[in-house]
Amino acid sequence: MSRPPPPPPTTNKDQQHQNPSLQEINIKLIQSGEKERLKELLRERLLECGWIDEMKALCRAFTRKKGRNNVTVDDLVHVISPKGRASVPNSVKAELLQRIRAFLASTAD
Amino acid sequence: MCARNSIYTNPKPCKHLADYKLRHGFNTYDSIRNCLKTTPNGRTRVAKHTTKIPRCSFCDRYQGRLYFCLMCSSLWCPSHILLHTQSEKGHEVAIDMDRSELYCCLCCDQVYDPDFDKVVVCNQVKDLPGGSKSKTNSFEASGERSSKRKRLDSGIGLDLKKSELLVSMRDRRAKSCYPLGLRGLNNLGSTCFMNSVLQALLHAPPLRNYFLNDRHNSVQCRKRSGEKLCLLCDIDAISSAMFCGDRTPYTPAHFLYSWWQHSSNLASYEEQDAHEFFISVLDGIHEKESKIRNSGKDDGDCQCIAHRAFSGLLRSDVTCISCGFTSTTYDPCVDISLNMDTSNLSSSNANKPIKPDEKTSVSTLSGCLNLFTRAERLGSDQKLHCQNCQELRDSSKQLSIRRLPLVLCLHIKRVEHSLVRKISRKINQYMQFPFSLDMTPYLSSSIVRSKFGNRIFTFEYDNSNSSAAYEIFAVIAHSGMLESGHYVTYLRLKNQWYKCDDAWISEVDEGIVRASQCYMLFYVQKLLYNKANEDSSFVRISPRRDPFESTAGCS
Repeated sequence: MSRPPPPPPTTNKDQQHQNPSLQEINIKLIQSGEKERLKELLRERLLECGWIDEMKALCRAFTRKKGRNNVTVDDLVHVISPKGRASVPNSVKAELLQRIRAFLASTAD
Repeated sequence: MCARNSIYTNPKPCKHLADYKLRHGFNTYDSIRNCLKTTPNGRTRVAKHTTKIPRCSFCDRYQGRLYFCLMCSSLWCPSHILLHTQSEKGHEVAIDMDRSELYCCLCCDQVYDPDFDKVVVCNQVKDLPGGSKSKTNSFEASGERSSKRKRLDSGIGLDLKKSELLVSMRDRRAKSCYPLGLRGLNNLGSTCFMNSVLQALLHAPPLRNYFLNDRHNSVQCRKRSGEKLCLLCDIDAISSAMFCGDRTPYTPAHFLYSWWQHSSNLASYEEQDAHEFFISVLDGIHEKESKIRNSGKDDGDCQCIAHRAFSGLLRSDVTCISCGFTSTTYDPCVDISLNMDTSNLSSSNANKPIKPDEKTSVSTLSGCLNLFTRAERLGSDQKLHCQNCQELRDSSKQLSIRRLPLVLCLHIKRVEHSLVRKISRKINQYMQFPFSLDMTPYLSSSIVRSKFGNRIFTFEYDNSNSSAAYEIFAVIAHSGMLESGHYVTYLRLKNQWYKCDDAWISEVDEGIVRASQCYMLFYVQKLLYNKANEDSSFVRISPRRDPFESTAGCS
């Protein structure tokens, strides 16, 4: 019994078309200006759900602990970023993903 | 409890920024001006490379923060910008591309320069639609109301000094050691709403002084207007009764009758809403005054005691989401009604962010004020006409306080209407409030300033002469349900709190006040509060009477 032949190797062109790399997606987003719009949308959603106020409170607490003159912006960014990333609401993530998918679908050609 | 350091003292530039400015002056700032791009909501970014994607010159990163070197226009990510500064002498200052903020590479920290911010802000103002028009909206002429305001502020203070008939002495009939002016009010049948508001009004420093100085003379009033009904005369009578030294509870029957005549729609034997009563009393005072003076002046300029004490000015900015055009309107107000900041705490929000700080789970006054001054995106069913786009557009609205009143009355809306079940429910949630309140963050100058981002610049109407520091002097607390509840007033006289529960006055600890369910908060400007507390042992006398004889209304 002969096994069915293996499927033909997909060409580079097809592969790129099926699975665009993260970098390519990003480039498309920036060049079309969609990234800016998404950032604006994200800012609005995070403001609405109180995330920004929470981050502000965290920054204040950290600054108070360390002393006003012993804190740099870089320190704050390093301390707050992991907490911030972890506390973004799922609904916001879902909405942005949906937007990105819709954008990619509309510019697939 | 208020901020010890003003938020807006300019931070000093670091040594590196100062050196840089000495060497280059404004040259690089000017060259940046052309690269600045403004978005409709007011953010400015550096957008030199419109076709290429900005990347770090070392690691090719394009995500996250990128800094733009002011000297050579090269781009660096935060991890590698130090390399650039170390290799090139003099390249110490950069701009955060996304935010248009200065960064000192050697200090590894954000730095501030008013000259730079001036360039950015001028650019922003120019870019937004209605360039020169919006400029006049934001940066108004300082002479606008400052002269009137000065008159307003000094008017009340001068009354005390001018009046030569005021005699400072202790009333010998006072049996208790309570301060003068504290007296219970009898409940005439569900009138605790009235008693609580009267207690707060009569002890508001401007009104208290007004009546103690005999600014409303009942005899002259009757002669002038010929009417028998005058709310001010009645309040004057109550004020005399409160301050005459007699401690037995007083019955404000005449006032109730007058008020019923004025607000016949609210006249009933049922419990009324204290806030509604408050508004109607101020309205009654104003009406009478404007009849006497025959003036059709609007609330903002009105000189009646109600407006002089309570009137402030609210600013409303409506911004078109599409183009950024902002239209600004001003409305006078006698109080501020605040919604409670419960949106973060409702259990319906299943995707609550993780709370690292316990404080965020309590409703606070600053939370409510933040909610009040937050930019609110109006729903798509509330599209407004944008003058720039010439069509209906989605907009956002933001409120702020353009001018603060002498006495700030904050009304906490504790009624929740459920559209689904068509019932109203009272919100019993506890709300934390301070005794000292700094209103600076809610002023128009602060709110509008923050729209430009993290900038340092002065507004033309930055009024450092009028104070935004307030001290609380009265709290009206409500307990019970919507239809059948009870109001009490807590008064703060000479740093001691007293509970005024209809006819019963008692000394209470400040903890009791803090724990109460506040409904209306009365704050007065700190200067007036301090003055009022200095010497409150005045006895009210009229020019014709012997100072030692009992005054009218005490029998």
